[in-house]
Amino acid sequence: MNAIRKSLHPGWLLVAPFLLLVIALYLGPILNILWLSVTDPEPGMGNYRKLFVSDSLLRIFWTTIRICLITTVGSVLLGYSIAYAMVHCHQKQKSYMLTLLLVSFWISILVRTFSWLMLLGHRGLVNNALEGMGVISEPIAFMRNELGVLIGMIHYMIPYAVLPLLVNMQSLDMRVMDASRNLGASGQQTFMRVYLPLTLPGIVASSLLIFILSLGFYVTPAVLGGGKVLMIAEYISVQLLVTLKWGTAAMLAGLMLFGVLAMLYIMSRFMKLSAVFGGSA
Amino acid sequence: MQDKQFMRETLVDGAKAFKEGRLNRRGFLTLCAMTGFASAASFPGGAEAAADYIVMWNWGGQSEECHGGAIGKPHEAAGGLPLRFDTSGPLQGKIKEMVDSGNVTADVCDADLFDAVALGPTGHLEPIDYNVVSKDKTLPNYALEHGVSIILYGYAFVYDTEAYGDNPPNSWADFFDTAKFPGKRSLYKWANGSLEAALMADGVDKDALYPLDMDRALNKIKGMKNDSLYWGSGAEAHSMCVNGEVSMGMVWQNRGRNIEEDTEGRYKLVMNQALAMPGAYIVPKGNPAGREEIMKFIAQAQDPDAQLQLLDCLGMTPSNPAAFDNIPEGQQPYAITSAMNIDGVAFNDPTWWGENGGDAVNAFLEAIS
Repeated sequence: MNAIRKSLHPGWLLVAPFLLLVIALYLGPILNILWLSVTDPEPGMGNYRKLFVSDSLLRIFWTTIRICLITTVGSVLLGYSIAYAMVHCHQKQKSYMLTLLLVSFWISILVRTFSWLMLLGHRGLVNNALEGMGVISEPIAFMRNELGVLIGMIHYMIPYAVLPLLVNMQSLDMRVMDASRNLGASGQQTFMRVYLPLTLPGIVASSLLIFILSLGFYVTPAVLGGGKVLMIAEYISVQLLVTLKWGTAAMLAGLMLFGVLAMLYIMSRFMKLSAVFGGSA
Repeated sequence: MQDKQFMRETLVDGAKAFKEGRLNRRGFLTLCAMTGFASAASFPGGAEAAADYIVMWNWGGQSEECHGGAIGKPHEAAGGLPLRFDTSGPLQGKIKEMVDSGNVTADVCDADLFDAVALGPTGHLEPIDYNVVSKDKTLPNYALEHGVSIILYGYAFVYDTEAYGDNPPNSWADFFDTAKFPGKRSLYKWANGSLEAALMADGVDKDALYPLDMDRALNKIKGMKNDSLYWGSGAEAHSMCVNGEVSMGMVWQNRGRNIEEDTEGRYKLVMNQALAMPGAYIVPKGNPAGREEIMKFIAQAQDPDAQLQLLDCLGMTPSNPAAFDNIPEGQQPYAITSAMNIDGVAFNDPTWWGENGGDAVNAFLEAIS
């Protein structure tokens, strides 16, 4: 008894109820899903075998990963410049910018998605204006294709890129940059060799966050993709609700889960994830 | 979602306890307040299934007032239970989940007849009692063991009159002919109707569609892929036409009328070769109001007057042959079973779709994405 008491930090007792809850309410259902993937419709690895038999599943995976990667790069680039501007501008302007950012962060994804149709759709504001000015004769197809999906997703993800980057940039000691300039580096050199490496944890954190969130995107591709951009989340929902292939859905969901975990693991080999997520390194 | 489900279950248990006298009124109201049950509209399914109502699980919109007026009122007047709605949409997966979980909160689903074929044999549905419901009050092939067709809806197409002037398209062959009729097209994303239209365009007779030749249909659809958009909801199909994104669009036939009105006649509906789909009432296994009660309700829905009211209110076409002759003049061009349309219409085979629908939808999705 004493041995247990010694090896077990009393803190564990305090978090025990919470841990039990997490195990019961989170791990249980996940195991249930994984179980479904090897038992429905019949026991065995049939659902996983589909991955090798049908190239369409692989194509859906590839579409999903491609769109998520482009979304990640696009929103981190834009988010980086926004965060950079916010850190370096006047306090008053910074709070304006933060307010605008948070307002768009809080607006429902449906509203933000449909607004793009109003703006860039076939008879949208932009196309109408360009046509009215005589710049184009036929409306430009911004929406109902992959470009539309990317515009919608990058726009939705920008606040998720800005917030981790902002936290990271604010915690930097600006005197380091001054020292670099003082030692003769140009502004560009200072940025590339001092500032950028220092903000790397922020970049990694926002990239991971965006990539993982994008993997589950469903509404935006369905509305802006014109039916031609099929991502894995929508496919899973169809298998659950329409075609009743719950085993396939569970298999795909399991693969997504392990894919994300594997990604986190690989990242952790190269850097301290705790630093990325704001803990002390 | 989980929270909502939990609240709903708590409330249902509370409502049952209240009814049986195990919980007093104050206790029940406290429970309602605790679970955030503000009004009857919040959780129609759960609370009311326990409190002696018939709960119809449908797709919301106008259908609440329409079904309420056409079927609910006369059913209640004849001594039946009052009608309430759960408008979250009875997709096959949701019905299966509801029955499997043992927490059935809906009495009747406003679904497709092929759902009855897909879910019936696996024990998720109550069989229809044809001593109460009449097989003669619907089309001959549309009274199945686990579901009966009440109304029909259909896949037809609209075209832009300004694009095609004097030589308008009149068949699916024209719809798929982008050389003769240039312009974008829109098709339904979940394969229904789109596959049949492609086969008719490819020369298959409308009465010889089933079993569907999937390869042939998908080839036809892939051939037009670069000129096609695909819609997943009626509103999306509507906006694709009204915004001029497509010159021809497959639509649900009752939407066709709205599109004609919203574009002031610029887009026109073509009912030739429309695919008639049997909408059906199906009953989840162990429905709370009981099988006997719900069969009386379904029998009420077979009444020609009820069906004509639904036609007037929603544009859904009667399936009861006794109502065909009474379709009003103004609805004739839009109703599937009206004298002017019925001979040109193709009829969906719910058995084929129920047995093969899942694979067909996946194959279609893979072809268009």
